[in-house]
Amino acid sequence: MLEFYEPQADYGTPKSTSTNMVTLSIDGVEVTVPEGTSVMRAAAESGVKIPRLCATDQLKSFGSCRVCLVEIEGRRGFPVSCTTNVEAGMEVKTQSDEIGKLRRNVMELYISDHPLDCLTCPTNGDCELQDTAGELGLRSVRYGFEGENHLVAEKDESNPYFTFDPSKCIVCSRCVRACEEVQGTFALTIDGRGFESKVSASQAEDFMDSECVSCGACVNACPTATLTEKSIIEAGKPEHSVTTTCAYCGVGCSFKAEMKGSQVVRMTPYKDGKANEGHACVKGRFAFGYATHKDRITVPMIRDSIDDPWREVSWEEAVTYTAKRFKAIQAQYGRTSIGAISSSRCTNEEVYLVQKMVRAGFGNNNVDTCARVCHSPTGFGLKTTLGESAGTQTFASVADADVVIVMGANPTEAHPVFGSRLKRRLREGAKLIVIDPRKIELVSSPHITADYHLPVRPGTNVTLLNALAHVVVNEGLEAREYIADRCDVAEFEKWVAFIGDERHSPENTETITGVSAADLRAAARLYATGGNGAIFYGLGVTEHSQGSTAVMGIANLAMLTGNIGRDGVGVNPLRGQNNVQGSCDMGSFPHELPGYRHISDKATRDLFEGEWGVTLDSEPGLRIPNMFDAALDGEFKGLYCQGEDIAQSDPNTQHVEAALRSIECLVVQDIFLNETAKFAHVFLPGASFLEKDGTFTNAERRISRVRKVMPPLSGKADWEGTMALANALGCKMEYSHPSDIMDEIARLTPTFNGVSYDRLEQLGSIQWPCNDSTPEGTPIMHVDQFVRGKGFFAMTEYVATTERANRKFPLLLTTGRILSQYNVGAQTRRTDNSEWHGEDLIEIHPHDAEERGINHGDWVGINSRVGDTVLRADVTDRVKPGVVYTTFHHPVSGANVITTDNSDWATNCPEYKVTAVQLSKVTQPSNWQARQKSFDKQQQGLLKDARH
Amino acid sequence: MSESKLQRLVDMINQIALNMSANGGEQMVADQVAQHLEKFWAPPMKALITQQPLGVDIGLTPIAQIAVQSLLKIQQAKLD
Repeated sequence: MLEFYEPQADYGTPKSTSTNMVTLSIDGVEVTVPEGTSVMRAAAESGVKIPRLCATDQLKSFGSCRVCLVEIEGRRGFPVSCTTNVEAGMEVKTQSDEIGKLRRNVMELYISDHPLDCLTCPTNGDCELQDTAGELGLRSVRYGFEGENHLVAEKDESNPYFTFDPSKCIVCSRCVRACEEVQGTFALTIDGRGFESKVSASQAEDFMDSECVSCGACVNACPTATLTEKSIIEAGKPEHSVTTTCAYCGVGCSFKAEMKGSQVVRMTPYKDGKANEGHACVKGRFAFGYATHKDRITVPMIRDSIDDPWREVSWEEAVTYTAKRFKAIQAQYGRTSIGAISSSRCTNEEVYLVQKMVRAGFGNNNVDTCARVCHSPTGFGLKTTLGESAGTQTFASVADADVVIVMGANPTEAHPVFGSRLKRRLREGAKLIVIDPRKIELVSSPHITADYHLPVRPGTNVTLLNALAHVVVNEGLEAREYIADRCDVAEFEKWVAFIGDERHSPENTETITGVSAADLRAAARLYATGGNGAIFYGLGVTEHSQGSTAVMGIANLAMLTGNIGRDGVGVNPLRGQNNVQGSCDMGSFPHELPGYRHISDKATRDLFEGEWGVTLDSEPGLRIPNMFDAALDGEFKGLYCQGEDIAQSDPNTQHVEAALRSIECLVVQDIFLNETAKFAHVFLPGASFLEKDGTFTNAERRISRVRKVMPPLSGKADWEGTMALANALGCKMEYSHPSDIMDEIARLTPTFNGVSYDRLEQLGSIQWPCNDSTPEGTPIMHVDQFVRGKGFFAMTEYVATTERANRKFPLLLTTGRILSQYNVGAQTRRTDNSEWHGEDLIEIHPHDAEERGINHGDWVGINSRVGDTVLRADVTDRVKPGVVYTTFHHPVSGANVITTDNSDWATNCPEYKVTAVQLSKVTQPSNWQARQKSFDKQQQGLLKDARH
Repeated sequence: MSESKLQRLVDMINQIALNMSANGGEQMVADQVAQHLEKFWAPPMKALITQQPLGVDIGLTPIAQIAVQSLLKIQQAKLD
């Protein structure tokens, strides 16, 4: 919704969650609030604002500024309202001559040391100090301005997104507290005492050189212009705002896009967003500049061959050309010779339309989505064991967890806002077990130390999970009543016989996993007996040849210990991209229609056939790797690829490139000329999340609105581009707004029956299932029973990957993400985030480095069975000996030139996390990198020709 | 027919069979593998593997061979 710009409401102190209510009187008006509420908040909730400087409802009350004092009947003096909690019958007075005088006295002291340059200050009109001085009627300052002050203090402008101007600082500590309480980084402190006290980043360093992670929490919290976004300094105060959803990771943070006309000047985390509750990370908060980057392509383009120059054309000509070529391909090679790949970066409505166009327009089921290469094992594993292809909890539920397992995930880098939430709970005392080959930040960071770090050897997750379950079963720690009530007991007994076998014991698996048997036993006991146990996992679980088995192993472990079906527990896949859950929900896999219903199910097909007016193919279509293979076999000739960069993100790049070169008509719809588009014949300009309406579904199954804040630069939102192509193909689509598409989804999908844009406006967001029986959605799943009825303990036999280290390839490469960059980097590389991570590095343990004569910063050749590339070395003990690690955010890195075609047995999710490699010192880029550079130069030239 | 294409499918079936090996007896596992292929494989992949002449060693493990026969029965049942 579009609103005139107003700072978000601030109640001064956090909301109390108590269910006991207390009634008191404030300025003669009776007020009832939960026990534990501060007087300040109680007043604010009743419409009375008590002036304040150091208080904000995102932080615990602090009581340092002394501006918020009040009178309370029967109490001596003037209590501070932010640290005084309500009591029954309390009579509070917020205004009196005496109170006003005292508050003005305090303000005079603050103002005596503050520049009076309000008219030229970047936060003029949006400054709490200015507002408070106004509210108090401050008209003079008795102390003058001539004394020692901080006006000459140098500004710190090192951070690309915000400045620190110490002369504006009132030392309220809000920034320091935000860094601690909200973000959990502890990068800021107050140095010095009294008049000399000042905010300092790390050891009096520049922000950029400090431990600051640039989440912006300090900037949000600052009541003055001390910490200010550079975009605001440049553009001034916003004039309106639109609430929308971040398009980066699967946390799905809600933001206020703050605007001047159609220009975004700031993204402010929305306090009422249930996924993030007012917090953000460096990507969502600041890295939005890519949306208007000069590399954006905003005009459709076509060409007959990838060696031809692009030709800019109208939308009509582009879709007519595409439809003609797709029809000709089908006429020559058959109905199944074309297909589509959609992206988790697109909205639910967009991916729904892509699969509809494929099934109803192409006449086959050759549609797949990028979840194939990340969380498809989650869908398979959780559907098999629990009955639904989704995580079980809300993010907020972690506040009730007592023991947390983080497996194959790195929340503080890849899901940072959830990472902060998790760290908060850990600081409160929850126990932590990290299962990861690397020492991720959570293993040891300020005020957090993992109780157990199980540094599992890549490729042996299933053995480790089996060993954990073995300990629980053999030590009699299982939740017997829960299993008897909730699970298929006959299958459980079979599984117990399997898992109880001594071959699964920690002692017998120690040599396979590389994890100490004693640590593993202790971790299993902790999870089984430590209270509420919650498991959070990521691609370090799924992207293996046994990804699906590992997901089932996790579900088994949770059922075994009774840890599903209430707050504080559960199985929680951390989705990499913003709409992985949604793209899977929307029927983007080749074997199922929206709502995870198999294409062979006649009743479901009848439903869709009735709505769409076509006959649907009852057989599954091709998965992404099948499409590549079929392309190389000459059987797959046309591909529509929306928002997904398969040339960079899929494994075995040379295989993918060969497949793309053999496609006769490759259509790419994207905002940039990505790596895949360099092989394309048609380029349809995409729209960023700021340019369209729709919905994203995050890792909690939370459906949130994406709202258009600026017109699409190409003239069409992505759903309109797909609709135009579908109509050109003769597949009739008539939608006037994405809400029409959601209405169709709701009509056809039982778990979405209750979802509509109106309902989303009312509730803010909805966690599916949402239907007649759960009209406000379902925060926690499997509460009374599992969706499949009885929980199913799946057999989880360990099968070693065929990708093994040997003398030629003695190291195991695993991959991951970094905080400042996102996936293939197409967005974040076009922002100042590259100042933190300008290139991908290869992490290698000092021992392995020394053996090879590799020093920190050396160029290193990385050879695998399928290819080789060159990266700079980062010699570090974050990885253990025998394991190397890299990120994959830069195309030139060629991380996927090395990864193999090995994939999960059940879903074909690639085994990105295990590649046997050898490393050696080199002096020049790899042959592939040289070819990539030359190809890129050629394609950029062909693009440049089209644009001029 | 491309040999590597057939080999890919053989490798995939063997991998599926191996991963399902703990699920029960030989026939049960083979049936589950066949159901998995029926559920997730596109028709040309199913056709290629079921059309291989009986008795010719294409590299399938024993359980995978039974699974392919089960898949053939599923395919034939759909035609009836």
